[in-house]
Amino acid sequence: MDLTGDDVQDILSLLDGLPFGELHLQTARFSLTLRRTADGGWTQETQIRSEPTIAPAAATVAGEATVPGGGAVPGGGGVPEGGAVPGGGGVPGGGAVPDGLRAVRAPLPGTFYRAPMPGAPPFVDTGSSVEPDTVVAIIETMKLMNSVCAGVRGTVAEILLADAQPAEQGAALMWIREDP
Amino acid sequence: MADIELVDTSLRDGNQSLWGATGLTTAHILQIAPVMDRVGFRALDFTSSTHMGISVRTHKEDPWELIRLTHAAAPHTPLQFIGSGLRFISWEPVHPDLIRLAYDRLVVAGMSRFVVLDPMHDMEAVLRTARMLRRAGAREIIAALTYTISAVHTDDFYAGLAGQMAACPDIDRVYVKDPAGLLTPEAARTLIPAVRVRLGEAVLALGDDDPPESGSLRRNTKPLELHSHCTIGLSPLTCLAAADLGVAALHTACGSLANGTSLPNAERVVANLRELGHTVDIDDRLLARVAGYFTDLALAESLPAGQPREYDASFLRHQVAGGVMTTTRRQLDELGLGDRFGAVMDEVSRVRAELGYPIMVTPFPQIVCGQALYNVLGNERYQHVSDQAIRYVLGRFGRPTAAVDPDVADRILSRPRARELTAEPPPASPAELRRRLPARISDEEFLLRATMPAGEVDAMLAAGPARRHYNPGLKPVLDLLAGLRERPGMSGLVIDKPGFRLELREGTRQ
Amino acid sequence: MRRVLIANRGEIAVRVVRTCRALGVETVLTVAGADRDAVPARLADAVAPIGASYLDADAVVRAALAAGADAVHPGYGFLAESPRLARACDAAGLVFIGPTAEQLGAVGDKLAARDRATAAGLPVVPGGAVGSRAEATRLADQIGWPVLVKAAGGGGGRGLRAVAEPAQLDAAIERATAEAEAAFGDPRLYLERLVTSGRHVEVQLLGDGERVICLGDRDCSVQRRYQKLLEEAPAPLLDDGLRSGIRRAAVAFGRHLGYRGLGTVEFLVDARRGDFYFLEMNARIQVEHPVTEAISGLDLVAEQIAVAEGGPLRLAQDDVRLAGHAIECRINAEDPGQGFRPSPGTVTRAVFPAGPGIRVDTHVQAGSAVPPGYDSLLAKLIVTGRDRAQALARLRGALARCEIEGVATTAALHAALAADPEFGRGGADTGYLARFLARRAGTAVRADVTDKKAAAAGARRG
Repeated sequence: MDLTGDDVQDILSLLDGLPFGELHLQTARFSLTLRRTADGGWTQETQIRSEPTIAPAAATVAGEATVPGGGAVPGGGGVPEGGAVPGGGGVPGGGAVPDGLRAVRAPLPGTFYRAPMPGAPPFVDTGSSVEPDTVVAIIETMKLMNSVCAGVRGTVAEILLADAQPAEQGAALMWIREDP
Repeated sequence: MADIELVDTSLRDGNQSLWGATGLTTAHILQIAPVMDRVGFRALDFTSSTHMGISVRTHKEDPWELIRLTHAAAPHTPLQFIGSGLRFISWEPVHPDLIRLAYDRLVVAGMSRFVVLDPMHDMEAVLRTARMLRRAGAREIIAALTYTISAVHTDDFYAGLAGQMAACPDIDRVYVKDPAGLLTPEAARTLIPAVRVRLGEAVLALGDDDPPESGSLRRNTKPLELHSHCTIGLSPLTCLAAADLGVAALHTACGSLANGTSLPNAERVVANLRELGHTVDIDDRLLARVAGYFTDLALAESLPAGQPREYDASFLRHQVAGGVMTTTRRQLDELGLGDRFGAVMDEVSRVRAELGYPIMVTPFPQIVCGQALYNVLGNERYQHVSDQAIRYVLGRFGRPTAAVDPDVADRILSRPRARELTAEPPPASPAELRRRLPARISDEEFLLRATMPAGEVDAMLAAGPARRHYNPGLKPVLDLLAGLRERPGMSGLVIDKPGFRLELREGTRQ
Repeated sequence: MRRVLIANRGEIAVRVVRTCRALGVETVLTVAGADRDAVPARLADAVAPIGASYLDADAVVRAALAAGADAVHPGYGFLAESPRLARACDAAGLVFIGPTAEQLGAVGDKLAARDRATAAGLPVVPGGAVGSRAEATRLADQIGWPVLVKAAGGGGGRGLRAVAEPAQLDAAIERATAEAEAAFGDPRLYLERLVTSGRHVEVQLLGDGERVICLGDRDCSVQRRYQKLLEEAPAPLLDDGLRSGIRRAAVAFGRHLGYRGLGTVEFLVDARRGDFYFLEMNARIQVEHPVTEAISGLDLVAEQIAVAEGGPLRLAQDDVRLAGHAIECRINAEDPGQGFRPSPGTVTRAVFPAGPGIRVDTHVQAGSAVPPGYDSLLAKLIVTGRDRAQALARLRGALARCEIEGVATTAALHAALAADPEFGRGGADTGYLARFLARRAGTAVRADVTDKKAAAAGARRG
């Protein structure tokens, strides 16, 4: 359900004649509170609760751009300091792959796992050496486990998601500093 | 394989089949019209004069305004009007000039596609109506071949009609209309090619100086569409057969307005067509949204959702729709004659043949079943005859397809009542009707006042402009609030379901 | 049109999403920085991060193509009137929801727009281009003092400087040139006679490239430093002949341009003398479009989209029926008590009025960030009534029920305006708000002085 101004009017025209002073309506997408005021009028307070969805093509296309020189990242969407990105989804498309690093990307949408099973040590950590065939993560989709390989020879520079975070297809999961 | 188009019938035939034609208001339609416009339907089966009358009578809404607003909201998809050309809103036949005026106004308001429907297939009348429509500015005119099973309604019969339709310059397309859902895939595999051959042979009249060979240059294959109801579960399969046989468009409906005695479910038809290798150029996401809307609306308004139907072999024989059968059985039970039901059904077949095989679409099932009932109840057959049956034999519903049995016709027409009905004056011309009505009303209002009780039109006008906004998801909340008016003394309310929470409190005055 | 990229933010992004949702058109919203989590991002079907700026036309086009959009809606401000964006969309096969690039250029250059208006037979404010210093002084003498120095590449009330006397002209031109270059990338200036007591009346046009119709007028005279605070439709207290003259002139201009899309022709009106002058044309949807929607029953974004899809106008002029009166208040995150200093921060509470005739267009809710660096509009409160009196009465009640906390807002100022008898009479001119604010400040100063005197008296006594 989505609500428009007309919907709020429809609710109020019925609510006004009832002895209630407050209506609170909540779904997964929004919450609406209508309150009667001393002057007989009403107030509305809305909270949109749905999370933004990143346009799939935008996430993969924007991520391919590399930044010239120095590893600097453009403002407003680069690689955050120190580890996992809050809020889920992998690195949003606004981030460019930093200079000298290669991205390991989720081959499918699903849940990112750092270890082969709960409680086991993670596949890799920051600083781990990897070969192209080294399994660095698992993406779990619909209860099926898909191994993700490093794809390059090098050292893990940064792991971008926390264990068990959701990842979109194509989202960068970690940076590998490729061996020269 | 072929590229198949869809004609959506949710708003008219779906509404009529499943919801008594009264389920949809202006607000219900306008809310989804812009989305329907973008699906890529070839046309929307939108209204008929019956539906226009229901707007006025049941919803107190202006049907002309509904057409205008819908056309504005859906400017890219042609809106279709269906009618016989003999009557407008009321059951009485009207003067042809009144029909001409109605067609003019319909075109101005935004209707561009018109179906000429005469279940009796009186081709003279059909061609006359088509010409009227062309003159009124209709952009696409469709002639209907109404399908039924009977001794006279053979493939040759329909092919002959198709030939006449092909030759008529005022007819652009033809569709097979199967209101009872009788057309099996097997029957379609002979009927459709027979019809298409004749549609493909349309040769416009050659002039005296034209060489005979130029006939081939004027060949004008008129496309064929299929409109078949799901009454006994055949239509979804027949549609697929039709696609293989070169039918250009299939009539479907969406969500809860599909299946049952309505048209097949568009989403399922599209998926099946693609499975068979055909292409359907529509926006799947928006089609799903339209289907979801009608399903949500049905839930919100407590209207029945169409369900896929079971095959009933006996239906091909008696062709009496479920509703009419139920009513007839109930009437017999009330008279303590429930055991005569089988006899009545047998009598139905006899009466149908004697009356010249009317196609069992409203109002003919009622007329035929009613007469069958009278024949079983009376001391002799045709002792009692209804006014409608008399009018039918008098040709007031159109010229019967096959001749009425002469003895039966004689029996019916020699009744005193028949003489009264014969002497009924012909329908009044618009000029005469205008004189009887208030001066200086618009043509649109005149057309309503000329065919409906004044009180109903007055009530519609008094109700003011129709609402244009509707949210099916919110309806349960609004119903709840409206219902609370009848429950004084409640100090609060909480409804808590997964994904939904509603609280009402007395609140603190600020 | 299946999918639209909305290249904007804030309340207009929400506005466009709302109509697209009703039409079944998918929306992808460009987001920069913190806007990624803002309300518009949560309402759109998807977001396309574009770095840090909404002013990069190439980034907008790239985002549109990457997201599979077939059209771009530029909103207002940012690139809404950028011929470059319009041309880049054309080149990329994207529909630009707005006028043609040529039309954007024709009216975007305010000086060229004056010439076009004159060519179309419209009266313009006496004025002309600024050439050399000597020419400028001569021109100013000709058109009469005081004069207004305007940036040819400006518009929307930006880049204006009043000059009262000849001695100040040179310095004013020098400063204005530098500012225009910096703000608009175009240093050209023009002069206009400064009409001190006029009304700002604008006419809403809708065209399809061949036909142009008028959707009524609006009065936007309540301005502070040429920025609109409050608008209403229709413009009150205009003589019928004058009103129809203004509307006719606007339509004539639209026809002269072969205008396509939504556009607004702004006029300076001397209601007493019955004169009006063309000021400029805005080739975009405007902030104050809701007051026109309120009295016409139309959805202007839907009309924009319909025209952009290539259809002819769905309405004839006769189909446009205006009824009632609507007033819009722009509630900004500014502190009127501190010289309208912007008040960025985080909204902690956002409670708005609701009820018959009340509409709120906003992108903020409790928790919304109000970043510095963008315009300060938080919400538009639009109130409609069957006439101006009812609209005003409803407005007073509605403003009293606005509770926005966490940032300073102009809501209280609007409430004071709604209670002011001069505003209540209607027809206030462009100098009204300055006078009103001065009166308020004077009252505050007088109160302050009285307090100090009383304190001093008390101190002397004590």
